[in-house]
Amino acid sequence: MMHQCKNATSAAVEPRPLVFAGLPATSWAFAIRIWIAVILALYASFWLELEAPSSAAITVAILALPTRGQAMEKAGFRLIATVIGVAASIAIAGFFSQTDGLLLAVFSAWIELCVYAAGMLDGNRAYAAALCCITVALIAVQQIDSPQQVFPTGVARGAAIAVGVLASALINDVLAVPDYHPVLSIRLEALHRQVVSYAEGVVRGEAASSTVAAGLLRDIVAVRPEIASLAAESSSGNARSAAARTAMVDLVTGLFLARALAAVSAAAPVTHSSHQDDNSSCLMTIGLAWLRREVTRRSEDVRSSLEALRAGEHPSREWRAPLYRSRRIAAESGGRAAIYFALASIFFVVTGWPTTEICLSLVAIVIGLSATAPDTRMFTTLAILATPIACLLAGILKYLVLDGASEFQLLAIGLAPFVIGPALLMTLPNRKLSSLGRLVLVFTIAVLAPTNPQTYDPETFLVTSLFVCLAAILPFAAQLLLPPWSNDRRLRQLLSEARRDLRSLDIRRRQHLAPEEATFRDAVRIEQIVTATATAPNSPALDEAMRRFDQTAALRLCGSALGRLANGPLAGAADAARTALAQRNASAVRASAKALREAAPRHDPPADSACGALVLASVVFSNGSIDRGEP
Amino acid sequence: MMHTYRELVIGGVLVAPIVSYAAMALLLFLSLRPLLHFVGFSRLFSNPAVAELSLYVSIFGLLTLLF
Repeated sequence: MMHQCKNATSAAVEPRPLVFAGLPATSWAFAIRIWIAVILALYASFWLELEAPSSAAITVAILALPTRGQAMEKAGFRLIATVIGVAASIAIAGFFSQTDGLLLAVFSAWIELCVYAAGMLDGNRAYAAALCCITVALIAVQQIDSPQQVFPTGVARGAAIAVGVLASALINDVLAVPDYHPVLSIRLEALHRQVVSYAEGVVRGEAASSTVAAGLLRDIVAVRPEIASLAAESSSGNARSAAARTAMVDLVTGLFLARALAAVSAAAPVTHSSHQDDNSSCLMTIGLAWLRREVTRRSEDVRSSLEALRAGEHPSREWRAPLYRSRRIAAESGGRAAIYFALASIFFVVTGWPTTEICLSLVAIVIGLSATAPDTRMFTTLAILATPIACLLAGILKYLVLDGASEFQLLAIGLAPFVIGPALLMTLPNRKLSSLGRLVLVFTIAVLAPTNPQTYDPETFLVTSLFVCLAAILPFAAQLLLPPWSNDRRLRQLLSEARRDLRSLDIRRRQHLAPEEATFRDAVRIEQIVTATATAPNSPALDEAMRRFDQTAALRLCGSALGRLANGPLAGAADAARTALAQRNASAVRASAKALREAAPRHDPPADSACGALVLASVVFSNGSIDRGEP
Repeated sequence: MMHTYRELVIGGVLVAPIVSYAAMALLLFLSLRPLLHFVGFSRLFSNPAVAELSLYVSIFGLLTLLF
């Protein structure tokens, strides 16, 4: 009752968010900010007489993100990728100009390399890899018949992007765009509450659902690419980023330990009822006590890291958050992207149309951008939808609104609805609509191509519009011929890699990652498996993936705990336990835990930890057989 | 007396002085970040973003004036 009263009071006191036309004021502020930044970028580009002013405006559209840190991080990667792309363009044009088919093959190989790199990375790093491919497309492919223009074009693009980045950064700073760390802090706190509630459910004896745990792991891991943006936010950014990363890694470990507690609790009564000797019961008690302590300790660690995040300080201990990516999936995606580009090139060679290099470069852009999207097919479908809308909007702006006007003020006012509208769409929670908004904004500016003075040649506009639409259709058609990885195939590949990793894990060798960090890396794989099983959330594959996750993490915990006994009087018992673990034999592991317990003095914390970890390993390995022989 | 700006030459390509000053100012600003964190720079201002931007502009201006 009191709780209800408190809720009612807080609801009464809390100010209601300001809403205008069904959208919150923050969305309107974001959209208007983007419009101002676009205008500023265009004004500066016209004033500096840059050759590619539209690139500056497109940069602002691409950097349109709700918080300052996110935009700054993306801007940094955009600049770095542009430098790499320009250098690659000069090298490719220098070595392979006028080699016809070989030049197109080299472009395909570059696209393959970039898409592979994008597949091995996440967040803005993946975007930077894709942008390397896009930059080559915009510079070297567009200047395919005039290689002497590659360097000036690269410089012009670099200058325009720098102006766009500066305009975006200035507007974000001056208009006091909110920081990202409070939002991230709230998200991590909410995830912490969910993990604590999961652990409390386990302690109460409720069944620990694999689907719920996998969903939680996915939500925790999804924070990873966003944490990197904290570093760009302020001088305390690096400390905040480290604190958030540590909290995220500890959340994954905490969730695993809660699952481990559930598994050992479920196994404990069985052991007791089967009238085994008292030692087994004692081992279970040690294991349960150790797991309870560990769950509480991790929760405290998360709380302390979150406090450090809020205060802008380094956490007391820092974890890295390694990323897991399947090399095979990335390599095959790269190969497919190269084939898509080659097919589009063959199409244009066969048709023999003039000025198709612009369309070919746009094809490479769509292929590059789709490599950063979670669903490649969905991205190309959205691009097919976005391009005609963008062409229509650019046509209305050019021939109905501006209609021959050359004053900058009129361009600024005319652009307002065409920038603010898609920017508002970008703020919607629906991911498809949000992506559509971003694509429409970028393509509208690209098709409009603001210049000083503005050109109103209808033929150029029609050809550009046709090429933009064709550039979206060609990768889609190529994907119909050679479909991207299906979810089922992706799932099989990820599962086989999880089995392989478990099989090859040798805790006797020195590990380059701490158990917590390695467990986080495995959680990233679980996230990909959850995404691949989105259509069938209760699939047995997910259960198997979670079982492998538990077994691998338990093995690593054992390795770490036994490592602490390596130089003491219990070294022999620890070595025997390692041998039992290498065999993945649950009863041998339990026997080694018993031997260790008997050899260790009473209340020896390192020995208790090792015993607890061994009990956990014996339980998770007896729950699911390890198919040591299967591929 | 007129201030002369020296152009940076990379592999025979002349780089505009403003670009080299901006890059140098950025490098200096980034190397100052640990110090700014240590002294609690972001806690001294109501809008730390604008304060950091002003610091960058000051470094850029000083570089242009002195070198």
